[in-house]
Amino acid sequence: MSEHKQPDLARRELLGRGAAIAAAGVTLAPGVMLYGVAQAKPADEPVSSKVRWGMLVDTTKCSSGCNACVEACDKEHGLGNEQHSRDGQRTQYIRKVELRHKFTGATHSLPVMCQHCETPPCVDVCPTGASFKRADGIVLVDRHICIGCRYCMMACPYKARSFVHEALTDQRPHTPRGKGCVESCTLCVHRVDEGREPACVEACAADGSRAIIFGDLNDPNSEIAQRVKTYASSEIRADLGLNTGVRYQGI
Amino acid sequence: MKRLLQLLSMAVLALTLSAPALAGEGGRTPLPTIPAAKGDQCVEDTADMRRNHMKYLKHHRDETMHQGIRTEKYSLKQCLECHVPAEGSMAAGGKESEGHFCVNCHVYAGVTLDCFECHATKPETTAQFHPLVSPAAMKAERPDSNGLLNRLVGVTENKTGVAHE
Repeated sequence: MSEHKQPDLARRELLGRGAAIAAAGVTLAPGVMLYGVAQAKPADEPVSSKVRWGMLVDTTKCSSGCNACVEACDKEHGLGNEQHSRDGQRTQYIRKVELRHKFTGATHSLPVMCQHCETPPCVDVCPTGASFKRADGIVLVDRHICIGCRYCMMACPYKARSFVHEALTDQRPHTPRGKGCVESCTLCVHRVDEGREPACVEACAADGSRAIIFGDLNDPNSEIAQRVKTYASSEIRADLGLNTGVRYQGI
Repeated sequence: MKRLLQLLSMAVLALTLSAPALAGEGGRTPLPTIPAAKGDQCVEDTADMRRNHMKYLKHHRDETMHQGIRTEKYSLKQCLECHVPAEGSMAAGGKESEGHFCVNCHVYAGVTLDCFECHATKPETTAQFHPLVSPAAMKAERPDSNGLLNRLVGVTENKTGVAHE
């Protein structure tokens, strides 16, 4: 028992200081913080599982009339160019949902897109491996492999996926789309790989709402990690235990 | 013997009549029009690219899709950057500059499943799409004058069918 070690106080102090430096970036003024901006990875480097991209939607800031995120998404990905599809068949990566509590009458407006689950049901059911999750947590459809069976659409609890019913033209270079494939929100993977934010997040900020924030959930210094740590946030259908990358605050 | 001679003369006549139709500007064999590209050299030798470009593209596509590797060499976007001429030059040009580098050759070789059913045919910088693929061009502008367009539309219709649901 004489070998019992005293705690290394110097080391503790150092760790404490390190944590203080690492936490929460720089405080500019009370309540105003400067967070580190996500760095773009080099183009030749594969994505890493050290990163978990996510979004946090503050439903208290999301107004019911606003459709900026949906419009930005449609523009970014060249959606809405179907000529023959019915409205219910048209592709939507993101949609606005209005919620109303039956008893209290409280209403919420929130954008719903692919929730980029940690354990995505669409990936579980995909018979070809077209539906997959990237190492950094972004759930995608590899349309080169997709056979258009639509099992993933049935499996998704968030109704996040769409099927292209007709031959398309005028695609954007970063979002190839074609008949016979399932598609969904890509979390603007082409932007994320360049170190930019998804189009909906940018549009929401430009609109002044700043209801959606995007970042690395695994990085304790990121704004999103700080926010989910500080404030109560929830997943839609949390009972399914999917650990979604998109989280909601205020519902 | 008389019958043989008759047949032979018919064959000669047929060949004589069909020869002008077959003969392109380069000789007897019809060849696709190949628009000029930017720069002097592709990412590999021309012969290698002719034979193997699809392999390079496929390899790169899997790396990009699944691992997020977005290097420019062997990327389809970069093909279009160099090989698809700017909007002005293509619209203004005559027969020589008409068409799309990739699509022209794919139509010629009968490659019916190519990248451009899903992928954009124009680089983003021009903000315009190729008249071959643009729906506006299909509807209104030169519906019959462009034989290549007709052939491409024919291919698309055969492949996609009529039903939309």
